[in-house]
Formats: sequence, structure tokens, C-alpha cells
Amino acid sequence: MIQSAPALFEMRRELPATFEAVEEFIADFRRWGQVLLDRESWFAAELLVREALANAVAHGCHADPSKQVRCCLRLKDGRLLIAVEDYGCGFNWRAAWSNQAAAADCSGRGIEILRQYASRVRYNDRGNAVTIIKRFSEENHT
Amino acid sequence: MIAVSREDNKVVVRPAGDSIVAASIPELRLKMREIVAEGVQELVIDLTDVQMVDSSGIGLLISAFNSQRKVGGRLAVIHASGEILELFQTMRMHQHFSVSGN
Repeated sequence: MIQSAPALFEMRRELPATFEAVEEFIADFRRWGQVLLDRESWFAAELLVREALANAVAHGCHADPSKQVRCCLRLKDGRLLIAVEDYGCGFNWRAAWSNQAAAADCSGRGIEILRQYASRVRYNDRGNAVTIIKRFSEENHT
Repeated sequence: MIAVSREDNKVVVRPAGDSIVAASIPELRLKMREIVAEGVQELVIDLTDVQMVDSSGIGLLISAFNSQRKVGGRLAVIHASGEILELFQTMRMHQHFSVSGN
């Protein structure tokens, strides 16, 4: 029987839907990310985690601290899995996926960042859970 | 603490902390609104200490650029890291205002 290698890094947390809680989560992630990944990869990884969490907090939970956001990060075999779920009613990701903010728009760039930086993005049907995969090349991680 | 320096009709803002992200936006937005309301000719955002900008941070910069343009002023971003420069290029920010690296 072939056993898969243990995860190089894993974080699972349920956090209140506030941006302050996101910052605490990111601070913990940074302690690992900056050790295990080179600067360029860490930047891309943190950016993706931030966008996924910010969407869940702002749009899924309307930054209501009584609501929770669930997040799991796993770095293994040169790829980072980011899974974020909120308990909101979701959004129509099929309609939003190809949107590009107009030049003067001050919002609406989160999904474009996911498109540009992620290797793969998958939503559930309801649109309240997202799974993002970011693959790194061999030289990008230890 | 947000650092603000002034020279003639130019104001340089150095954000507090190492990130311009959703959590840090409200304080920075307030400060930038105050400065834009002064009618300053050139608003410069110095990213020397900034390691991360997310979509909210990009939105704030676009908003400041829009406000500056309305009153005939300019916005520039200086000392951006390589990763932030690449993000801004990917998001076509250089079409709006000048962005320079470290």
C-alpha cells in the first residue's frame, strides 16, 4: 500500500466573520508561508487566502461577528489547497466569474485576482464555498 | 501610524503597517480623503514598508485616483515591491497612475 506523504503544512480554523479575525489568521499563515515558500509564491498564496476570506466575510456574512467562516489550508507536494466556506446564501459565481471591473470601478477585482493567481478555482453550486488550488514549481518551495 | 510629509503642493503618504488590505483600509481612506479635500496637486503613496495589497487596497487607490482626477490633481505610487508591481501590472493599474518600484 502506498501511503501519501504527510502534509507539509496544514491549518484548519473556524473564525468570526470580521476582518480583524482574518488578520489574525493571516499572521499565523505568514509564519509558515514565509518559511516554506519563496517570496513570490508566498505573496501569491497570501493574496489568494485573503481574497477568499474577504469574500466570505464581506459578502457571505456581511462582516457580522456572530457568523463564522471556515478555512482550511494545506500545502503538500508543491501545491497549496485553500478551502473557505461561509454560512451565507452564496452568490452566482457562474455570472460573476468572467467579470472584469471597469477602469474607474473601486471594487469588483477580487474574482479577477483569483482568476489571475490561482491554478484552479472551484465553487459549490450554492456559491458559499470555494476551493482554490495554487501550484508552485519545484524551486518555489522547500 | 500613517506618516504624512508635505513639500510645496505634494503630499507623500506612508501607510501604517505592512499591508493595504480590507482591515487597514478605513483609517487610510479617512486620511487620504482629508488630503484630497485639501486640493493637493500631487498625492504620492509610498509603499516602502508595504508587503501586501489586496483587491480592497487596489480599490482604495483607484478611488483616490478618481478623486484626484476630478480636481485636476495627480496620484503616484512609489517604492512598490516586485510582487506588488506585478500585481498592479496584472490589474492594469499603470493605466491609471504612475507606479514605480524599489
